Amino acid sequence: MLEMFEYDFMQRAFIAGIIIAILASISGTFVVLRRYSLIGETLSHSALLGVAVGLVAEFNPLWSAVLFALFAAWLIEYLRSAFSLYSDAVLAILLSGSLASAVIIVSLGGAFNNSLFSYLFGSILAVSSDDIVVIAVFGAISLFLLLLFSKEFYFIAYDEEVAKTSGIKVDFLNLLLVSIVAIIIALSIRVVGSLLISALMIIPTIAALQFRVGFLKTVLISLCIALLSVFSGMTLSFHFSLPSGATIVLCVLFIFILSLVINRR
Amino acid sequence: MKFSVPIFDVKNLSFVLKEQTILSNISFEIFPSEYIAIIGPNGGGKTTLVRMLLGLEKPTNGEVKIYGKGLSHFNEWYKIGYVPQRASLVDGSFPATVLDIVNMGRTSQRRLFSTLSKSDRTFVHDAMQKMDILDLADKMVGTLSGGQRQRVMIARALASNPKILILDEPNTGVDAASQKNFYALLRELNKKDGITIVFITHDIGVIADDIARLFTINQKAIICNNPKQTLSCEEMSSLYGIDAHLLHNHRHEH
Ligand SMILES: Nc1ncnc2c1ncn2[C@@H]1O[C@H](COP(=O)(O)OP(=O)(O)OP(=O)(O)O)[C@@H](O)[C@H]1O
Ligand SMILES: [Mg+2]
Repeated sequence: MLEMFEYDFMQRAFIAGIIIAILASISGTFVVLRRYSLIGETLSHSALLGVAVGLVAEFNPLWSAVLFALFAAWLIEYLRSAFSLYSDAVLAILLSGSLASAVIIVSLGGAFNNSLFSYLFGSILAVSSDDIVVIAVFGAISLFLLLLFSKEFYFIAYDEEVAKTSGIKVDFLNLLLVSIVAIIIALSIRVVGSLLISALMIIPTIAALQFRVGFLKTVLISLCIALLSVFSGMTLSFHFSLPSGATIVLCVLFIFILSLVINRR
Repeated sequence: MKFSVPIFDVKNLSFVLKEQTILSNISFEIFPSEYIAIIGPNGGGKTTLVRMLLGLEKPTNGEVKIYGKGLSHFNEWYKIGYVPQRASLVDGSFPATVLDIVNMGRTSQRRLFSTLSKSDRTFVHDAMQKMDILDLADKMVGTLSGGQRQRVMIARALASNPKILILDEPNTGVDAASQKNFYALLRELNKKDGITIVFITHDIGVIADDIARLFTINQKAIICNNPKQTLSCEEMSSLYGIDAHLLHNHRHEH
């Protein structure tokens, strides 16, 4: 099994995958507790729109994915705070709008080929050294901010109004959290793919919640589940030449079902 | 008392929701170390009023000042402990132990990068002791009974070591013995530590001796500056459909 690490691209894929597993699961805990699960789905499609623009304009699609996901995150928060418009409908509209625009842009630009496919479902072959640097740098910043404000995010997730009246800057932190999530999703798009990343964010936490333990333990369990899924998913992807995002998500699902069975009462 | 700066200064406050007047033209001041009880019928607007005091609801008209400042300029929120009415209605699967929840009471006063200090832990411990939930510390909140959960929420508010406690029917579902302890605790916090208390309750008779003033809220506010003279309060309250006999009867039992 270890011979797969003889390939440079596999080493890169694993480094990227491990960083993403850490980021997705830790941010995912807050996303789930905050009931933001659908936002992840929407942002991943906005990131895909960014990829499409990057592919056609021929610059690193990772950068444009980050920009577009951030923009979408801010738009969602703006709509929510300015018009109290925060419904599934708004998110669904943004999601399908982004996806449709991405497809149109790519076909007009003549780039409708395998490379878009790899951004939809993830590909371990595609991770370049440049990507690793981008993922590591943005990933480190995101993780730092998540940990720095984890107590505040936790309080807000539990009771936003009491958090606010106790002096926590709820509006700022909400914006910060969706921005971090947007960045993490955009970073993950290469390895896991835009259609599947929100599954890697959400499902490890939902599985961890089945254990009914305190906050710290929940985060740790979800982290372990994400790491295990990414590791086994990428291994399967390598040996059977399957898209890595899809194998990773199936591994996550398998562990989720396992945790349901273990914790059945 | 009139010479000190009021903690809350409310002027001509109104709240209209979809053309329905919930609160109209309410004015009052609340001074440091006062113990205010708010009563009124269901739907009378008590919760709405308190939410406007805390900036959670925007008044249609009028203004709330807190320590002489507009709400958006106020930056000492850590002085306020708030227990909302729906406090016990939380998602049962939320991954939190009782200790996790009470620790939240310290969150807004922590410095960046720092974890709970020794004094933080002392505040948390004392608050849990006061609410008699020390033995529940490691239980998941989702597994608690309604009354136990309510006590956890009160403990969280106490853990922040507030100067002002705002309680919206915090002890619904709490058993009689614990309620009695809770009223005694509020009296002590108010008399001994000088904490300002704003307490929405339907259980006015029991605390009538402790409170400084009584606000009756039913769209309009009636302020009873001397609730010990129950008769006049009673008359005014009954105008608005409040059963102030409760107040009267309880007084004579004591
Ligand atoms: N967000 C809202 N949407 C619709 N109606 C509201 C809202 N907030 C308050 N109301 C209405 O305002 C009125 C006052 O409600 P409020 O909760 O302030 O009453 P209350 O005095 O606290 O009642 P209770 O004793 O039952 O707690 C009610 O008629 C309620 O229906
Ligand atoms: Mg109420």
